[in-house]
Amino acid sequence: MTATGTAPLRKRAARPAPAKVPRRRRLTERRSKALAFIVLTAPMLIGLAVFRYVAIGWSFLLSFSEARRTISLGKWVGLDNYKELLSDERFRDSLTMIVLFTAMIVPVTFVASLGLAVLVNRVRRGRAFFRTAFLLPAAVSYVAAAMIWKMALFSGVPSGLANTIGALFGADATPWIQTQSPPLYWIVLVTLRLWLQVGLYMILFIAGLQSIPPHLYEAASLDGAGPWRTFRSITFPMLRNTSVAILLLMFIAALQAFDEFYAIFSTGASLGSEPVRTPLMHLYGVALQDQDYGVGSAGAFLLTLLIVLITLVQGRILGFARDKD
Amino acid sequence: MSVLFVAGSAVACSSNPQATASAKGAKVTLTQWYHQYGEEGTQAAVKRYAKEFTKANPDIAINVVWGADTSQYETKLNAALLGADAPDIFELGDFRAEMARKGQLEPLDDVYGSAKDGFNKADIDYLTVDGKLYGMKTIDDIMMLFYRKSMLTKAGVTPPTTFAELTAAAKKLTDGDIKGLFIGNDGIGDSPYLLAWSQGVDMIKDGKVVYADAAKSIGGLHDLHSDKSILLGFTTDWYDAGAFTQGATAMQWCGLWALPTVEKALGDDFGVVPWPAYDASGKPVARLGGWSQAINSKSKHVAEAKKYLQWLWVEQSAIQMDWAVKYGFHVPPQNAVAAKTPALSKGAAKDTVTIGTKYGISFPAEWTQAMQAEFIAAAADIAQGDDPAKTLKKAQSKAQSDLDKQMG
Repeated sequence: MTATGTAPLRKRAARPAPAKVPRRRRLTERRSKALAFIVLTAPMLIGLAVFRYVAIGWSFLLSFSEARRTISLGKWVGLDNYKELLSDERFRDSLTMIVLFTAMIVPVTFVASLGLAVLVNRVRRGRAFFRTAFLLPAAVSYVAAAMIWKMALFSGVPSGLANTIGALFGADATPWIQTQSPPLYWIVLVTLRLWLQVGLYMILFIAGLQSIPPHLYEAASLDGAGPWRTFRSITFPMLRNTSVAILLLMFIAALQAFDEFYAIFSTGASLGSEPVRTPLMHLYGVALQDQDYGVGSAGAFLLTLLIVLITLVQGRILGFARDKD
Repeated sequence: MSVLFVAGSAVACSSNPQATASAKGAKVTLTQWYHQYGEEGTQAAVKRYAKEFTKANPDIAINVVWGADTSQYETKLNAALLGADAPDIFELGDFRAEMARKGQLEPLDDVYGSAKDGFNKADIDYLTVDGKLYGMKTIDDIMMLFYRKSMLTKAGVTPPTTFAELTAAAKKLTDGDIKGLFIGNDGIGDSPYLLAWSQGVDMIKDGKVVYADAAKSIGGLHDLHSDKSILLGFTTDWYDAGAFTQGATAMQWCGLWALPTVEKALGDDFGVVPWPAYDASGKPVARLGGWSQAINSKSKHVAEAKKYLQWLWVEQSAIQMDWAVKYGFHVPPQNAVAAKTPALSKGAAKDTVTIGTKYGISFPAEWTQAMQAEFIAAAADIAQGDDPAKTLKKAQSKAQSDLDKQMG
């Protein structure tokens, strides 16, 4: 239906506009264009409305309602769900943890992916190979990767890869994920996250790098600027908009961390023994395991609020989507 | 993209390849959910049982849905129960009294009928909420401590009978890459429950959460951790006998289901004991688990579902035996059927059944996943050196408010 409807439309649009078109014809053309727009976007918009916005609205109402083992509204409790969650020490701990985690992981991911992008962009031969090699992990599922990290690389048995390497230097087998003093599990979590994410951000940076006009570099090299000076004065400032957008994505990804934390620490039973817990892990336990959809929804909105706040602050400082001056 | 997703899930829902085709001509089709059993042949077996029922009752067809594994099953079931496509009959791992109190489960007293007295008493108590029965056990799982005879003899220790003996034995048995004891990859597993019970403390008593009374025994977890005598981060967890059969640990907390595997790998070089009494005033314990079946109170075919449940789990003792010991290794919940099961009447299996009857304890039915998470988290903090009494008190008061909410 859509195919027959659009074909003549496109043909008409491609034709250069004639100098004088009767008013009636212009009107019908506009109307049929509007109709096509509605027909083509309606399924998408209806889908969005039903499966996103109605769900979000419902969840917002649930957050003010007592909803244990049900998602029907009616038992209004005001802000009780929010109060309960904020008075829960484990949830507060998880919020503190995720802010600290974000403060650490975002700069590390940023520097690593920008560095890789600059290096890969400089390689003269086999650039496509390196680009692909670094991007490939981005296609791996978080859970699958977490299983490899948990069971093959960092398992507590002597045959785990990390322990095998350690044994070469005379170290005893170490349970990486379970050791809390010092907190070795961070090595597992951070390496896993970097491996999964750096490649994707690297590609975005490479796209940014390639949009920098080469004549700037030519002028700089004529002026005798070294590589560091070139990076500081040309590359980094010219990447400003790319960097701001990537930072935004990184903040959101870090604050929403769940998959690898859950997969690394889950024991098959319910949660509880994990040394660190992200807010989403806590809310998963509350809403999906313990079936308290009221408190779970309240938590979802608290987390959203946190993300919005951090994004606004970031926008204030770095100027999100500000025009190049 | 969302549109594609919507279309995709609609297709996925309408054609469940796992479901058995409903028999032609049946007036009623019941949907029955199972979690994904790890043992080979289980899926075919439950479909066979369903077919046999339809042969005897041509009006009722059963659509068996083979579901998610243990860790995800309850979450999926809970979500399904909120919607229109909820199953008529489903399995429950940990029985939740809260579901009965919220009106999600159908009372099953008439399904049991006079057969009730023949069921394992601990199971009946576990599934009774405010005087009514809301579930029917299909298998009992007994969890106990496996030990490797040859390793204990070599180290000069005997199977532990107190917690002090357990920690001492674990320390002595730890030798390089071989650890003394395996209770779970996180070093916690079920041990906080076992420790509390072995000190004679219940989780909940007369509507009060009282596990902080077990500060002394749960505090012992710190010793096990600082001794470095427990196995951590193995590739399979405590409910798989892998660590024990591969010789990574000398003792392991596991279950009756693993007995055939252990026997095959180690012959008679192993024995089973309950978790030791904490001290002279405590008592040895074993955990009683397993799966129950329940009926959705919102089902349109409650009467048919009851008929099926009664036929299968009350009347068909041959099927119950087949289900219990043919694929894995479990105990049929009806005492008379268990007594008739030949596989359970000799060797370590017989020892385990004795341990289960004598020392078996189930999780309290009022227990929720939030209480579980809170309790385990407290125990994990204690294992790392936090003050046991203070940490448990805090968790206990949170659990109490959860419990009060549940009792409404």
